[in-house]
Amino acid sequence: MKSIPYYLQTALKNLWIEKWINLLTVLSISIGMLILCTFSVITLNLDSVLKQWSKGFGMVVYINEQASKEDEENLKALFMADKDFLEIKYISKEEALTGVRKALGDDAIIIDEIKENPLPSSFELKLQSKLLVPEYVKSKAAKMKQMAGVAEVQYGEQWLSSLNKISETMQKGAIVLGLAIFIAVTFITYSTIKIFFHRRKEEVETLKLLGATKMFIKFPYLLEGLFIGTLGGIISAATIYSAYSFVTLRIGEFLPSLNFSIAVLPVQAYIIIPFAGAFMSLIGSYIAIGRIKY
Amino acid sequence: MIRFSNVSKSYDKEPILKNLTMSVERGELAFITGPSGAGKSTLLKLIYCSERPDEGQITVADQVASKMKQRLIPRYRRQIGVVFQDFKLLNNKTVYDNIALALRIHQMNSKAIRSQVINVLKEVNMTHKAKEYPPCLSGGEQQRVVVARAMVTKPMILLADEPTGNLDPENEKSIMHLFRQINTMGTTVLIATHNESLYSGSGRRVLIIKDKYIDKEIMG
Repeated sequence: MKSIPYYLQTALKNLWIEKWINLLTVLSISIGMLILCTFSVITLNLDSVLKQWSKGFGMVVYINEQASKEDEENLKALFMADKDFLEIKYISKEEALTGVRKALGDDAIIIDEIKENPLPSSFELKLQSKLLVPEYVKSKAAKMKQMAGVAEVQYGEQWLSSLNKISETMQKGAIVLGLAIFIAVTFITYSTIKIFFHRRKEEVETLKLLGATKMFIKFPYLLEGLFIGTLGGIISAATIYSAYSFVTLRIGEFLPSLNFSIAVLPVQAYIIIPFAGAFMSLIGSYIAIGRIKY
Repeated sequence: MIRFSNVSKSYDKEPILKNLTMSVERGELAFITGPSGAGKSTLLKLIYCSERPDEGQITVADQVASKMKQRLIPRYRRQIGVVFQDFKLLNNKTVYDNIALALRIHQMNSKAIRSQVINVLKEVNMTHKAKEYPPCLSGGEQQRVVVARAMVTKPMILLADEPTGNLDPENEKSIMHLFRQINTMGTTVLIATHNESLYSGSGRRVLIIKDKYIDKEIMG
């Protein structure tokens, strides 16, 4: 504890002495983290768009022509009891026909030519968005098809599969990019601290001969890495915030009627980013110093 | 205080010390002498665990230095003050900071560090150079700073490797005076030198290394 002022003083002094190389390191880290933040913002926005889309996703259960009123009631009861569904809407044969008439507009005369209503009654079901996994929906549809009175179950299989693929790709991309940035930031700090440590080799040797503990020798270097990473994180967080503010301001100015809203990183993220930078750099510094032998 | 029992050490299969046995008593001021390359510096390095013996045992203040565990070395070294032949001063630190560093390693607080550094600077007559950097000092002045750094922690043992190597007779005298002063305070002092004028007439024990072991002991 008594040595903490010394560690801080030494680390800050060394940072100042090697200011240019440190500045480059900080900028490299901030660029790396900025790429990650930008990707996170893009992912966040795409995710919110996907969520909006998925709200409209529904399944249509067509009732068999031979199904009795009782069968329909049973089906309704079953759907109501199923917690997977958010909304259940029954559409009778007549309502279906009216819908088609509306959709056809002036061409609805064609319908009048048909004497009997060919449209089946149906249930429109809205699934919870968290359940929109292709395999789950497929098995759900297959189960419903087995139910008494059900003629056909339809849903946007292709659409759901695409939606899922986009979401999965984004998640994998985030993991790969996050890992790549983690390695990059760690390596950048590692290289810088390794250079410093090598340059001060004689100083380290003297400290060892004077009886300094490993921690006494290592601490200033770890602090240097910590400062570099934190500063890199702060710069990237500040840049992403400024960029967001600028973009939303511009959109508001030019397209006020659009009421366009961009999903933004949560406030916690602006605190986490510098901490993440500090953590990654700390690991880099620790590896760079390596084992100290007496 | 310092005991060597049949200690052997070689570098690249070239023996430097062979079956060396010697001892230095608590509170003693003794000299180690011998021609260049006789192994005087190696002997000191073995004491502060910068080197390990190939054979034999080294005991320092009841601690077996020859088998000292890595993690115990820092604490062990803090009991020993060393005046290095090549000074080992940090050129990016002032005289004050170089001396203070030894106390910082001892985990002392800033107030105590300040008073002790000021005192030791007075003792070595270097107060006026406290803010100077080592490259701006003469050889004699740098040597004084090294002595100050070694004695500021009040070590049990003080080792000096050719402490007057590049000094004029005047500085030589003053450095020797400092060692005697440290010794009177109870510190065991062991000086490795090939400079005969340093020990002759000192009335102290002189251990002479010849043919890789202590050949004889004389009174200086």
